[in-house]
Amino acid sequence: MTSVPHAVAYPRPWRLGAGTQRTLIRIGTGVLLLVLWEVLVRWLAPPFVARPVTVARALPHVLANHVPAGTPTFWGSVEATVIAVFEGLAIGVTGGALVGLTMGRLRTADRLLRFYVSAFFAMPIIALVPVMTLWFGYSNTVRLAIVSLGAFLPVCLNVYDGTRSVPSSFVEVAQSYHARWWNVWFGIALPSSLPYLLAGFRLAVGRVLVGAVVAEYIVNLKGLGSMIVFDSRTFHQPQMMVAVLVLAVLGVAINGVADLATRRFLPWYRRSE
Amino acid sequence: MSTEGVRIRIAGVGKEFGALRVFQNIDLEIGEREIVSIVGPSGCGKTTLLRCIDGLVKPTEGEIRIDGTAVTGPPRGVAVVFQHFGLFPWKTVYENVAYGLRLAKAPKEHIRESVPRHIELVGLKGFEKAYPYQLSGGMQQRTGLARALATDPHVLLMDEPFASIDAQTREILQFELLRIWESRPMSMVFVTHSIEEAVLMGDRVVVLRGRPSSVHEVIETGLPRPRTRDVLSSPRFNEVRDHVWSRLMHEAEQAERELQEVR
Repeated sequence: MTSVPHAVAYPRPWRLGAGTQRTLIRIGTGVLLLVLWEVLVRWLAPPFVARPVTVARALPHVLANHVPAGTPTFWGSVEATVIAVFEGLAIGVTGGALVGLTMGRLRTADRLLRFYVSAFFAMPIIALVPVMTLWFGYSNTVRLAIVSLGAFLPVCLNVYDGTRSVPSSFVEVAQSYHARWWNVWFGIALPSSLPYLLAGFRLAVGRVLVGAVVAEYIVNLKGLGSMIVFDSRTFHQPQMMVAVLVLAVLGVAINGVADLATRRFLPWYRRSE
Repeated sequence: MSTEGVRIRIAGVGKEFGALRVFQNIDLEIGEREIVSIVGPSGCGKTTLLRCIDGLVKPTEGEIRIDGTAVTGPPRGVAVVFQHFGLFPWKTVYENVAYGLRLAKAPKEHIRESVPRHIELVGLKGFEKAYPYQLSGGMQQRTGLARALATDPHVLLMDEPFASIDAQTREILQFELLRIWESRPMSMVFVTHSIEEAVLMGDRVVVLRGRPSSVHEVIETGLPRPRTRDVLSSPRFNEVRDHVWSRLMHEAEQAERELQEVR
């Protein structure tokens, strides 16, 4: 492997590195927000309102599933939501990539579908939850349908854009080497749209988390969403805040892993041209 | 005809894009071990003609035959080196060079043997795992050349391959290509807008001219092979270059004058 040339930074001894500086600023902002939250709640809010200290105190109990009898267990909820999120991402991203690719390469598919895909994309998918409970009953299928659709739409539209902007020179090269249509679709159009797919994936992660939580709120499915509703209604606010934090961490983590995977497996990404 | 058999036969070929007639009545025969350069002003359709030979573009009239078979789509045994390199940014040098062989479903052992050999042939040994973005323009085109040669073509179509490469690298690549060609002579069509390059590479230089363009003149360069740097300073080289130059300049001046009149 040849090493990637990059600019050499000359660290000055009396200064922190740019990376360390950025991390410190980030942590500082976080600490400041926590302090503000703690102070404001102590000063203005009734005692059952969660503050960082009570959340921290609740954390070990919640993580050990030691919650008051009758409240949803933490790990059970995490598991239900995480599985739904990954199922939805898997179905939606695969389906979205395939349909987007087809729309991008086949004019007929473009004319048939794009208008409706765009329309659905512009619509808040969670508005469909009540309708879906009529179709699928109060079941996990509602959540799966919502999260799959939530992942499908942004990936589909982004991959469509990607396959529409495949440089014609790539297709020309492929044809000159006797590529058949499937070689062009999956060997040229899809890899060359990977940057678009990744952008779609980022949007998908956000939409899937929202979809899962809202479906759990409304349909009252086991998961972090229903745990949040239940705990907040039963005045277990610190417990609830742990669930909220987990959702935040989940979103950041999935995108972080996607970033790492991009850097590891697609080193050419954003370096070409 | 300076060489034995005819490989490419172009007979009465013309191309129109809608109402625009790009070229017409092109008749040309290219030998099995011959390099034919095609020069002409920009927009004269030299690249389009090359695409017709590769079957990427269908001529409106006339016929092109390679080894007696009419060209209807990209033929086997024909490889193109593109001005835009056409490397896939998501593939390493190795995978880019292997592309043609993989599409042709070549046996794995053949790919494992042929790809490194061609990477070495174009002087890129050690860069197998590099991505195109890590390479200079010259190295990218070396990769493009290796990809074309790896399919073991008997016709090599060069579409202004060195046009977007800096002058010094271009000269190095020209002589390397000549060296490679000497080791495995084949039929080569070399499209360029550089007169020097056309004369240096070609056994014959075809000058396209007019609107729509057609073959204005075919010049035998008569330069000895193998060609080395000495050729560049030989009187014959200068003579041929000046001749081609005057043919093309005449046209360029005329076009300029027409533009002035329009204004």
